[in-house]
This record gives sequence, structure tokens and C-alpha cells, in this order.
Amino acid sequence: MPEKVAENFTLIKFSTNTIHMQPVLSLQAISKRYGNIQALNSISFDVPEGSVFGILGPNGSGKTTMLGIILDILRADAGSFSWFGTSPSAESRKKIGALLETPNFYHYLSATDNLNITQAISGRGSTPEIESVLETVNLAQRKYSKFSTYSLGMKQRLAIAGTLLGNPNVLVFDEPTNGLDPVGIAEIRQLIKDLAKQGKTIIMASHLLDEVEKVCTHVAILKKGVLLTAGAVDEVLTNEDIVEISASDLTGLEIIIKEFNGVTNVKQDGNHLHVFFPINTANLEEINRYCFSKDITLSQLTLKRKSLESKFFELTNN
Amino acid sequence: MVSLLKTEWLKVKKYNTFWILSLLYIVSIWGLNYIVYNVQQNIYDKKKTGGVVNMIIGNPPYAFPKVWHMTAYVSSFLLFMPGLLMIISITNEYSYKTHRQNIIDGWSRTQFITAKQLLTIIIAIVSTAAVFLSALSFGFMEGSETLSFDNLEYILYFFLQTLSYTSLALLFGVVLKRSGIAIGVYFLYTVVIENVVSGLLNHYADYSGRYLPLKSVDNLIPFPVFENMTRQFLKQPNFSVQLTLSLIYLALYYYATKRKFETDDL
Repeated sequence: MPEKVAENFTLIKFSTNTIHMQPVLSLQAISKRYGNIQALNSISFDVPEGSVFGILGPNGSGKTTMLGIILDILRADAGSFSWFGTSPSAESRKKIGALLETPNFYHYLSATDNLNITQAISGRGSTPEIESVLETVNLAQRKYSKFSTYSLGMKQRLAIAGTLLGNPNVLVFDEPTNGLDPVGIAEIRQLIKDLAKQGKTIIMASHLLDEVEKVCTHVAILKKGVLLTAGAVDEVLTNEDIVEISASDLTGLEIIIKEFNGVTNVKQDGNHLHVFFPINTANLEEINRYCFSKDITLSQLTLKRKSLESKFFELTNN
Repeated sequence: MVSLLKTEWLKVKKYNTFWILSLLYIVSIWGLNYIVYNVQQNIYDKKKTGGVVNMIIGNPPYAFPKVWHMTAYVSSFLLFMPGLLMIISITNEYSYKTHRQNIIDGWSRTQFITAKQLLTIIIAIVSTAAVFLSALSFGFMEGSETLSFDNLEYILYFFLQTLSYTSLALLFGVVLKRSGIAIGVYFLYTVVIENVVSGLLNHYADYSGRYLPLKSVDNLIPFPVFENMTRQFLKQPNFSVQLTLSLIYLALYYYATKRKFETDDL
């Protein structure tokens, strides 16, 4: 099954406007199989420095497997990856603050004691800094309570605090807002935006389109282990213009609009038509004049930017 | 290496379960020996037996210098405990997924597993120290002879034996990952399974049961009483073969544990 899916898609090569810069992370043809399930199928892309790179995909699409591989938790069956242009090592991981899947801490230790261990292993941060990252995630009041007494949201905050320790330049977040209440979600999104403003590179896996759309500069979309597309958000989002039109005679409109210059596709959606043009070529005045000249008066004429959501469904529903 | 141990210390420092079990284990080393010591006192009671026992068995086993051998032998019945501590230490990491986080935070897989292997040595050192001090106290309590360090090599064999048990426990933990099953399998293997297999092999295959992993190290400290008699009836193990085998098995546990952790999906 997964192989068939793989054949149906041509991998869209990541186009970058930052070619001159060394990518923070580069994946080359990473594959991973669990028994007869192909979890990742020859995944390649680069994460440019300073980007907020969203990895988007439905549940079970291979997001966490991919992050597990780049963090040396899982072994790839084939392919390679590099951090900062060098082959991956424990030393390169020390420069990365990462949270994978769930908050992983010693249940019988407090927040402070847990972060002391993070600090001892990574060499990132210091005792006063442990205090300050706990302030950042609003956990300072409960810093002496055992991890086992925390709510899911508090555990998630502690995990984020752990990644911030020592102010690393690269952060990896797997579902960072998982388990948080709406206020917490807003806070973490703001935090990610602030970190991005400081020039940090953030790699973030999510199944929440809205989240990716709000904070990411780049996006890679995964489905059943296949990379559907990767690139800057505005490139991925708007690789075509869509014009929504309608008229009382919808059938007549469809016939004449197909002959209009530059139209690539026409789809009926309820009681209006979606007319597709190559990016930045749709001219609404021309369309209006053309239809009027063919004796059809438009009752609606709007240029729609495609939302990430519709793009996502379009890509993943095939 | 110091930083690995320092981090391992941060992990157990405030872990009550670990300290309660360790304390009970150390008290039990003394306690179990005290029970056997009391039995010995009753047998050697001059009023009842009039020194006959002394003629048959020789000096009381808890007197110097025999006490080193005796205490090491009796204490070895508690060796599932240091193994249990080791299993708790490794399977906790799996259930909290902190083995993942430690790697993510910047330890290499080798560093993680080396820290645990160092812990097997620390636990063995502490156990051995407890046995040494217990032996010393019983030697003095018995008071029949002055302090003697003859037979002290048995304390060293006890160290080797404890190390074999803790490293085998670590291997079980790394392979089985979940605490319940690891503890169950380890306990049954050390207490029942190997003894049964060994008994069968001894009976049907010319005493080859003594070459099993734990039996080879157990045999470094043979039953300390009636030695002359057992020597006549049983085919005695060859000491240097047993010692060499024990060291080979120990090396195998370390190698297998390291290799498993370094190549696994975590």
C-alpha cells in the first residue's frame, strides 16, 4: 500500500531563496520501515537557518519518526542527515533544545531537579538560568513540586522550559501545544514567535494547520511517510491564483470561462465556480469584461488566496 | 566518567524507593548472617553437645578466618536484591522515556549505557563493603580467635559474584525494557530456572551445570562447611576454569548490553 502511494506522488523539490546559507539541518533520502509499514519513504529537505519550519501531516504520517531519527532516538534504514553541515553527533545535539512526543522527566523529581539533570547532560544553562526558564513558562510557583503531581499542560511547559535552557539557537518541538489550555496555547505560540524574532531556527511538528499557518515561515507536508511538498509557506500556499465566480447561468458560465486566456482548471463548488490561473496572472477586470462580452453578468467575482487548510486537504486527499 | 556518575547521582539522590530497598538490603545482609550465626551458636553450645561438634566440623564457621568465607556464602542468597535495584534503575528510564531525553539532551548512547554499567560496579562495591563489615562484626562476636585476614579472597569473589548479578540484571532490563517482566524473569532465572537446569545437567551430563552463567561465579564460593566430606563425594569444580568462565560471562553481559542499547530504536 505505502509503495503505491509513493508512486502517485512526484516529490516536489524544496526550492529555497537561502541557497547561499548553510542549512541548519539537511535530510537526504531518509527511509524507515517498521515491519511491513513504510514509515518514511526517501525524505529529503533542508531547513534554512532562521526559519520556523513546520512539519505538517495527519496522525501517523511519520512526523515523530522523522524527528526521532534526526535526534538519534531511532535508526534510519537508509539515507543520511546532517546538523550544521556536519555528520550528527552527541556534540551537535547539545546545541539543540528538543522536545519529542511527550514530556520525558523523572516522575519522582521536582521541576528544578529535573532541569538540573538536563543541565548536567547538555552543559546548557546554569542554576540561575533554570529559575528564569521556569519563569518564562509560568512554572516558577510549582518548581519544587514533583513532576508526577503536574497536569499535562504543566508537564508540557516543563518540557518547553528544558528546551530553552542555555538559549540554544536551534529548537525542535513535537506538538508543542499538546495538552495546553487555550491561554497556554496562545502563550506558547507567542513564545515561538518571539524566539523566531531572535533569529532562532525552530523545527516544529504539528497536525494543527492553523498553528503552522500562524507561526511558520516554511512548511513540509508529510502523508504516510511520503513528503508531498516542502518550501516557504507563501510558495507552498499560493502556487496558483483561484478566482471564485458565479452567475445565474452557471453551466453557460462554465463553458465560456474554460476558453478564457490563461485558465488552467475550472471546478464547480456549490453554486459558484473556482477558476484556476498560474500564480499572479488572474486579472479580475479582464474576466469581468470577457464574461460581459459573452452576455453573462457575474453576480460574484473574488480572488481567493488558498488557505493552508485547503492546500493540505487537497494534497493529502489524493 | 566522573560527570556520568555525577548525573547518575542526580537521578537517584532523591529516589526514595531506591534508598529504602538499599537500606533494607544492607540490613538484611547482616540480619541473614545473624540468623545463621544463631543456629551455629546453638549447635556449638558446649552444655548440650560437649564439644563433639567441634571435633566433627572443626572451628565454628563464624570464627576468624573462616568467617570471610561463611559470610560471603550466606550473603550470596540475597543477590537478587542488587539485581533488583539495577533493574529498577534502568526500567525507570524506559517507562519515563528519560533514556530518550538523555540522548536528545546530548549524551551519546555509549555514555548513557556506560553510566548504567558504572552503577553496576558501584552497587557491587557497596554490597561487598557491607559483607566485609558484617563478616568483621561476626568474627569479633564469635571471639574465638584473633583477627585474621586469611580467606579474605572470598570477599573479592563476592564482589565478582555481585557484579555478575547486577550486570546480568542490567542486560535483562535493556532487553525486556518493562519493569514488571524484567523483574519477574530475572527473579525466576536466578532463583529457580538456572538452578533447575544446572541440577539436570549435573545429573545427566557429567556435572556440566556448573558452567552455566551464574553457577560458574556461584561456585567460586562453595558451601563452607563439611568441605572434607563433600570433596570425597562430589566431583569438585576446577577453580581456575570457574574463574575464567565467570570473567568471560561478565564480559559478555557488558558487551551484549552495550551493543543492544547502541543499536536499538529507543
